[in-house]
Amino acid sequence: MKSVVTTIVTAADAAGRFPSQNDLEAVQGNIQRAAARLEAAEKLAAGLDAVTKEAGDACFNKYPYLKQPGEAGENQTKVDKCYRDLGHYLRLINYCLVVGGTGPLDEWGIAGAREVYRTLGLPTGPYVEALTYTRDRACAPRDMSPQALNEFKSYLDYVINALS
Amino acid sequence: MLDAFSRSVVSADAKTAAVGAGDIAALRQYVAEGNKRLDAVNAITSNASCIVSDAVTGMICENTGLIQAGGNCYPNRRMAACLRDGEIVLRYISYALLAGDASVLDDRCLNGLKETYIALGVPTQSAARAVAIMKASATAHIGETNTPANGGSKFRKMETTQGDCSALVAEAASYFDRVISAVA
Repeated sequence: MKSVVTTIVTAADAAGRFPSQNDLEAVQGNIQRAAARLEAAEKLAAGLDAVTKEAGDACFNKYPYLKQPGEAGENQTKVDKCYRDLGHYLRLINYCLVVGGTGPLDEWGIAGAREVYRTLGLPTGPYVEALTYTRDRACAPRDMSPQALNEFKSYLDYVINALS
Repeated sequence: MLDAFSRSVVSADAKTAAVGAGDIAALRQYVAEGNKRLDAVNAITSNASCIVSDAVTGMICENTGLIQAGGNCYPNRRMAACLRDGEIVLRYISYALLAGDASVLDDRCLNGLKETYIALGVPTQSAARAVAIMKASATAHIGETNTPANGGSKFRKMETTQGDCSALVAEAASYFDRVISAVA
């Protein structure tokens, strides 16, 4: 799993050297930013179900045709799966906030997503809409501190850009 | 390879759950102790050659057969290989201490090490003893409990802010113990 520390250790190991001062400084930088992202991760984990529901509702409100026969949300089972997928993306964002990098999203969320959606005939637009709603709805200090919110939104944007 | 953060992510993913408050509290502890941890890694890396050479010479002093003909440190070539291995083990322990997780040590150093040593005829008892001496020296440097009496002419104290770093000393010791139990 890619994170700041594992990247540094991999590079040091490839060169066969002990962790250098540069490496320690890089870890220090990661640690200094950790408080905000851990706060965001904790708040997101606490409200994960509510955020997922809001995002999904926003998406089906904007694209009601999705619930018509032959569309991606034609029955409750399929609608539930949309909510589940949104929950997965938010959970992966929680992981990214914990490790301080996009590793979890890259490895478990984005790699192969385009091919899967094309095979299943799913539109990615509604996912973008749902996550954009979450991004614009989240605000500081109601949900979390401004710096934490900044970290959270940067990962939301990362997913949005990957799905767009 | 994992670190303290990705370890909690991987275990949460196995349950398809988000990383919750409990795990995050533990990670906050890692963050709060971050500077201590970097000082501890620095204590190992700055004294690496001293720690390694002292451990290998100590191992030989206790068992001089190693440097007589037929011993496993006998020609310089094999003594050099021994010093190199000591440095490699210490290097992976420094990685594990930096990451706060033993996976890098397990995956890249200990996996198959015992089998390799047995195949090469390296006495694993002696290897374990050298690691035990490295443990004593490294933990003394991290905890700054070394004294001129046990440091001798090479005595050196790390100059860091004084504080309680017993948790880090215990963590570093656990990585050395991991190596010892893997080769013994």
